[in-house]
Amino acid sequence: MQTYPVNVKNITFAYDEDCLILKNLSIQIPKGKIVAIMGGSGSGKTTLLRQISGQYTPQSGIVEVFGQDIVALNEKKILELRKRIGVLFQFGALFTDMSVYDNVAFSLKEHTNLPESIIQKIVAMKLNAVGLFGTQEMMPQELSGGMARRVALARAMALDPELMLYDEPFTGLDPISLNVAAMLIKKLNTALGQTSILITHDIETSMKIVDYIYFMADGQIIAKGTPTEIHTTTNPAVRQFIQGKVDGPFHYEYPTKLDYNQYLGVKS
Amino acid sequence: MKYIFVRLQQLGHPFAEFILHLGGITSMLFEIIISLGYPFRKFFLIMKELYFCGVRSIVIITVSGWFVGMVLGLQGYNTLQRFGSVSILGSVVALSLLRELGPVLTAILFAARAGSGITAEIGLMKATEQLDAMNVMAVNPIKRIVAPKFIAGIVSVPLLSALFNVSGIMGGYFVGVILLKLDSGTFWSQMQDSVSLHNDVINGIIKSFIFGVAVTLISVYQGFIAKPTAEGVAIATTNTVVSGALTVLALDFILTALMF
Repeated sequence: MQTYPVNVKNITFAYDEDCLILKNLSIQIPKGKIVAIMGGSGSGKTTLLRQISGQYTPQSGIVEVFGQDIVALNEKKILELRKRIGVLFQFGALFTDMSVYDNVAFSLKEHTNLPESIIQKIVAMKLNAVGLFGTQEMMPQELSGGMARRVALARAMALDPELMLYDEPFTGLDPISLNVAAMLIKKLNTALGQTSILITHDIETSMKIVDYIYFMADGQIIAKGTPTEIHTTTNPAVRQFIQGKVDGPFHYEYPTKLDYNQYLGVKS
Repeated sequence: MKYIFVRLQQLGHPFAEFILHLGGITSMLFEIIISLGYPFRKFFLIMKELYFCGVRSIVIITVSGWFVGMVLGLQGYNTLQRFGSVSILGSVVALSLLRELGPVLTAILFAARAGSGITAEIGLMKATEQLDAMNVMAVNPIKRIVAPKFIAGIVSVPLLSALFNVSGIMGGYFVGVILLKLDSGTFWSQMQDSVSLHNDVINGIIKSFIFGVAVTLISVYQGFIAKPTAEGVAIATTNTVVSGALTVLALDFILTALMF
């Protein structure tokens, strides 16, 4: 039977009352798969991810992670649950006052009683997996953007989480680092038997590694399917996004009520 | 009519805001108190913060204390000379420092030197998602970041205040005895006679302990509520120094009224 480590049912969320970010949204993430959540900027992707990691709670609906409803859990239970989840932040969010070693060792030191000698070995293995063995003594400021992202990946992996959440892992990377990141995500997902959720708007790269895609716009899921299905869909919004067209259901112009010509005092 | 209503709302808003912050800071204090066990298990965190807040503030505290003491010596000498009682200069310098100037100025300097640093550090950690990262790694930032800073603050301020007093008395001695040729024996014996351990020294320590709690709490709270932008962190840092100094002065009045 298929199990779903993440099962989001009909959630609604708003930062303030008059502006809904997520509207009655449901997604299911099957075990062992890499699922991408795509959509334009401001469509609510990161907000959705933060519901799953329990940083925000929805106004209504259920967020089930490993079968437990996150909304009903107390602080302590959420912390327990988070030990089984790894999160990669958009720009890594490494602790700038700690060395690479201390960053990767952070959750091992916090949540396990392992002796230092074992922790050293685990950190070395995690860094080796992302190709950065030997950088232990470096400080985050000395790393390039791509390297920092990989250290953050090693850190997120430290406790061998069952669920990985990636917040735009491909943004701002050069083509080589980008492929390295994609390859690592795929490799680690298979090797550790993880489930991964990937937030991205990089279509090319993610098409290569993901099993399933949810397409978001304006706080709702407007399309879903395998990469091939999404590629051949007739949904105009998705087509516009994939082809990167300027004209289509998505507008790049801000929907203002002011009339441009009138504002400038010109007759149209 | 509507105009008056809006004006009234504008008047009430800062007050409501103040009450809101008071509530926020109190609940943060409780959260810190229940997390105090954690930094003692990771003692190196406290050591690091003590170095940052305490050790690195020694120079500014010692030098300021020295100058304040010298000014007290000069002004005291000028005034006392008129009444022919320059012999009590030692006790004037010591009592002003121990009771008021030592604890108050130390706390204000601490807010400017260490408090602003604490606020900026926490604010920037928030802006760069480090606090979020810590949270999703199942570590409460209050435990890991705030509690050690809090302990370091309340340990440092009384100690720095004692240092300020010693340095200030030495400054007063320098002006009174070495420059203005007062009798050294009179200077010290007058001081010994008029300063009481319980009334002056211990009350001063209690004061600076309370100031330490207030200033450190304001610093970490401002860092936590800072808007995660460059401007937000700048405002929060300024707020720490301004509201830290005002709180210390207001608390000093209340404590003085209660103690002396």
